[in-house]
Amino acid sequence: MQVLAVDGIKLFLPETYDVVWSAIILVIIAVFFYKFFLPKLQSVFDERTAKIEGGIAKADKAQQDAAEAKKKYEAQLNTARVEASKIRDDARAEASHIIADARSRAETDAAQIATNAQRSIASQQQQALVKLKGEVGTLATALAGKILGAKLEDDAVQSHMLDQMIDGMDSGDKK
Amino acid sequence: MMIVSAAGSVLASSGFQVPSIDEFLPPEIMFQGTPFALNRIILIRLIATVVMLLVLGITAMRARLVPGRWQGAVEWIVEFIRDKIVYEVMGEVRGKRYVPMITTIFLSLLVFNICGIVPGMNIAASATIVVPLMWALWTFCQYWIAAVRGKGLKKYLKDELLPDGVPWPIYFILVPMQLLDIVVIRPFSLTIRLFANMIAGHILVALCFSATQFFLIDAENKLLMGFGAITFLGGFIMILFEAFVAAIQAFIFATLSTVYINLSYPEELE
Repeated sequence: MQVLAVDGIKLFLPETYDVVWSAIILVIIAVFFYKFFLPKLQSVFDERTAKIEGGIAKADKAQQDAAEAKKKYEAQLNTARVEASKIRDDARAEASHIIADARSRAETDAAQIATNAQRSIASQQQQALVKLKGEVGTLATALAGKILGAKLEDDAVQSHMLDQMIDGMDSGDKK
Repeated sequence: MMIVSAAGSVLASSGFQVPSIDEFLPPEIMFQGTPFALNRIILIRLIATVVMLLVLGITAMRARLVPGRWQGAVEWIVEFIRDKIVYEVMGEVRGKRYVPMITTIFLSLLVFNICGIVPGMNIAASATIVVPLMWALWTFCQYWIAAVRGKGLKKYLKDELLPDGVPWPIYFILVPMQLLDIVVIRPFSLTIRLFANMIAGHILVALCFSATQFFLIDAENKLLMGFGAITFLGGFIMILFEAFVAAIQAFIFATLSTVYINLSYPEELE
């Protein structure tokens, strides 16, 4: 028992080498945690947080960008729609204008052509009349000469007779 | 311990090896007589330190943004110490400075304590008085430094020794008690609690298994083998219990260190 009591107290009496080694180990472990392990892990934590926050911010920005782009496209689409309808209206107006123009020009042309045609018909009729008159005269003279014989050799009589005949033809035409 | 030894001397003749406190005072095996002498426990402590630093060092060097299982486990422990021990007690602003210290205390004591149930080591690396004492003295220094920095030494001593609202005759008892508390009791209670736990744990486990050895193998009377089975089961349960004690003692040491340091600061949060 005596020996045991001495041994027991020895448990609480630190050995020099134990103190030395414990101090060395404590300092090494503390330096390891203070200078390397925790800062390293903390940097990983920070990086992770930054990454997550960055990701969220990025997603937000992407969404915002998309919304802005959508708005822009919608505005553009609206402008385009308005422009298109304007162009359509313009085109329609111009088309009706062109048609009206064309119609009036065609009418003018048609009128002119008709006038020309009437004029040409009239002149041709006149020519035909003159020519007919001459031929009928000649024919009639020849005919009358054959009928009347010598009586018509006198030019004056001949001409007079001719005029009378044409007049008669004219009035006969009018009847 | 006396009873154990007494029983041991009775049974010694029949070959029953009783664990004794000599196991905590192992002979020097290297550099005998120098300040760097090594014995079994110090050797275990060195190996435990090297293994811990290697494992955690490699984990930290390979730390990835997306943690694997092992890194996740290590991070969980580190965050547990930071959030559940330090910040829980003293808050984030004040606690930030002490996170590395408490991490050092908790993880080193955890690893040292666990050595007590590692086959081949079988004794806690913290099972000499020096480790708990030195770790406790670190806490002691820190809470005195914190007192000077936090409240100022005068205010700290006044708050601890002469608290307001106490009738003055009580001070005659209170002052010596409180002085004893902040100077001696706090560091030594930390020390003794851990040290005694490690010794008791080792002796319990060793006793169970040496009894098993005796009853199952050495004893000539085979009728005693039933006892061997019981003591083996007991030893197994004690090993599990020691694993629990190893963790809980590291936790208690770290938490009390944090609490003592926090007591040196003014009560209102910064």
